[in-house]
Amino acid sequence: MTAEDAPPFRARRSGLARLFSAYGQEIVIACAILVLFAVVSTINPRFLGANNLNTIVSGNAYIAVAAIGMSMIIITGHIDVSVGALIGVLATISGTLAVSGYPIWFAWIAPVFVGMAVNAVVGVLVAYGRIPSIVVTLGMLSILRGGLVSVTGGAWINNLPPEYQLAQQRLFDIPAPVWFMILFTVLAALWMRHSAFGRSLYAIGGNAEAARAAGIPIERRTVQVFMIHGAIAGLATVLFATQLKIIQSTVPPNLELTIITASVIGGVSILGGTGTVIGSTLAAILFSTIGAAMIFINVSPYWLRAVIGLLILITVLVDMARRNREMRMARR
Amino acid sequence: MLRTSLAVLAVLSLSTSLVQAQSAWTGGDDLPTSPLACDGTPATPVAKPYDGGVPTNAPDRNGKQITAVDVPKLIGIGYFDATSKGIAEAAAELGNMTATTDGPTEANIDDQITLIDNYVTKGVDGILFAANDPVAIAPVLKKALAAGINVVGYDANSEPDARQWFVNQAEFNGIAKTMIDSLAAEVGEDASFAIVTSTFTTPNQARWIAEMAAYAAACHPNLKWLETVEAQEDNILSFNQANTLINKHGDDLKGILGMTSVATPAAADAVTQAGKCGSIAVVGLATPNAMKPYVESDCVKSVVLWNPVDLGYAAAYVLRATADGTLKPGDTTVKAGKLGDLSVINGSEILLGAPFVFTKDNIGGFNF
Repeated sequence: MTAEDAPPFRARRSGLARLFSAYGQEIVIACAILVLFAVVSTINPRFLGANNLNTIVSGNAYIAVAAIGMSMIIITGHIDVSVGALIGVLATISGTLAVSGYPIWFAWIAPVFVGMAVNAVVGVLVAYGRIPSIVVTLGMLSILRGGLVSVTGGAWINNLPPEYQLAQQRLFDIPAPVWFMILFTVLAALWMRHSAFGRSLYAIGGNAEAARAAGIPIERRTVQVFMIHGAIAGLATVLFATQLKIIQSTVPPNLELTIITASVIGGVSILGGTGTVIGSTLAAILFSTIGAAMIFINVSPYWLRAVIGLLILITVLVDMARRNREMRMARR
Repeated sequence: MLRTSLAVLAVLSLSTSLVQAQSAWTGGDDLPTSPLACDGTPATPVAKPYDGGVPTNAPDRNGKQITAVDVPKLIGIGYFDATSKGIAEAAAELGNMTATTDGPTEANIDDQITLIDNYVTKGVDGILFAANDPVAIAPVLKKALAAGINVVGYDANSEPDARQWFVNQAEFNGIAKTMIDSLAAEVGEDASFAIVTSTFTTPNQARWIAEMAAYAAACHPNLKWLETVEAQEDNILSFNQANTLINKHGDDLKGILGMTSVATPAAADAVTQAGKCGSIAVVGLATPNAMKPYVESDCVKSVVLWNPVDLGYAAAYVLRATADGTLKPGDTTVKAGKLGDLSVINGSEILLGAPFVFTKDNIGGFNF
């Protein structure tokens, strides 16, 4: 080995280190998924069957999509606990349009715009009203949930036209939700990393005063990120509402918590400023992998909750430790 | 990061080592069971003294024209439209009873109490109710009894001494028998099946599962139960869990029992999307509206619940018999028109009878 060979070698090592420091959590989750697949498929090879892979990867696709928007909100330093109720309302609106004779494309796209409109209100209250986002979204949660029950009376929508069932379509034998999840995750990840808008969200969540000093219009950005989150919730709704032949007027219990958990375990710091949407998508896939694995190896589902709880604690602890270390290093 | 990886690995290896062998059906409770006879002979009712209330100085209403008001939990939904249809049907058949339905527009106990209170003041001969809250409704019903009004409940009970009789739509062992009988009829006596439930600790579902296990052991001993999975009240999770069962058990899985109105249609959708209609039967508890798409496409053959039209019809007949004095404390049966003789159970309850099975032939007639 000559002296000239050394620098590129070192550069490659530091590149790997950089990759790991930027995507550490994502790599850990991806490894966890792979380990889980290896272990469970040794016990029961059917775990690797094509249908089971489709079930696992598409099962939580709507949660992964919703978690993209949630990650943006948390990165900006906010939180949204109303997204579950919002998805329920949007699903009912979309289904009602589909059975009332409106064009199918309109039933698909309406949730995106209604979601944007609802979250514009939330964003304005948070940004200009200076009310903490948890308070505003808690209020919105009650309004949406109560409104939904009052308006629908608990009735279900059950005569949906077959061409409405977008999530049941397949391309190359892979369910549509998987394609949408990959597409939206990649687009959002590129946009968050390379656009001025995306980087400004990290800046606001990391240090709002510094961001303001740097000339970032914090209030406008806050309203915008809430509206984008609403639009993404609308996209998630389409995957949620078109999966089955019926739409319930209630939403899965604790849906918003599942979505927030995907973001946090995916490496988005609950304190804002760091994380990626790739992590939250991987975390959503990890949840469905754990869920399916527990059935395949006959482990009580109570462990699923315990495991996810433990993952949250570990992730947050590691995040805190990393922040402390960075602060100590900054002081030095 | 290293610590995270180690911890995740530790947790995963811990959970994989916990492969449990399960003896009883999971998801059932530990309470004693009372499986029905295989041939459907009604169980001998356990003797229990009458624990209902008694109206004060009720006038002699035997054979006379009476006015009754029906106060369901709420009006404007398919379920209670069906019960009031049954009540109207019975009143028309009887000829000596007028019945009107008047309920709150939301399932709100305060509105319901106010409504009943108004009718007590106005003066009616009989009140039929489905309580929004068994305890909160008791005082106003006792006030009605004290005014000499006959009070009969259906669908949702009050405290027993606040009304005279309660028409019980289904007992746990009855539902369990119909579920298992329908499953065995569809998949054969020695097939394997799995259950999708809400959670292992949800009281009604746990009771049904325990009763199903007891009944299957006695009457269909070769049916093979594979496992029970939890799906909360979450439609997409129910769909995913049913898919995982199909993926895991492959051709061994011949039937899925759905224990909730959320799990049953989602399991049916999973079977439909897996192209397994006809080779995997779905039998479950669910409301007809949720199941219409699957029953109409021939993927699901039996949906188990009770018939709310019959429930209202029976309640009206019980009210008439109570007003006439032909149904008295201590009686063991009551005549309910086309439904025949209904049994008195639990002191002051009347059992509607075997659960109702919705099939392709009848499901179109229901809207709830």
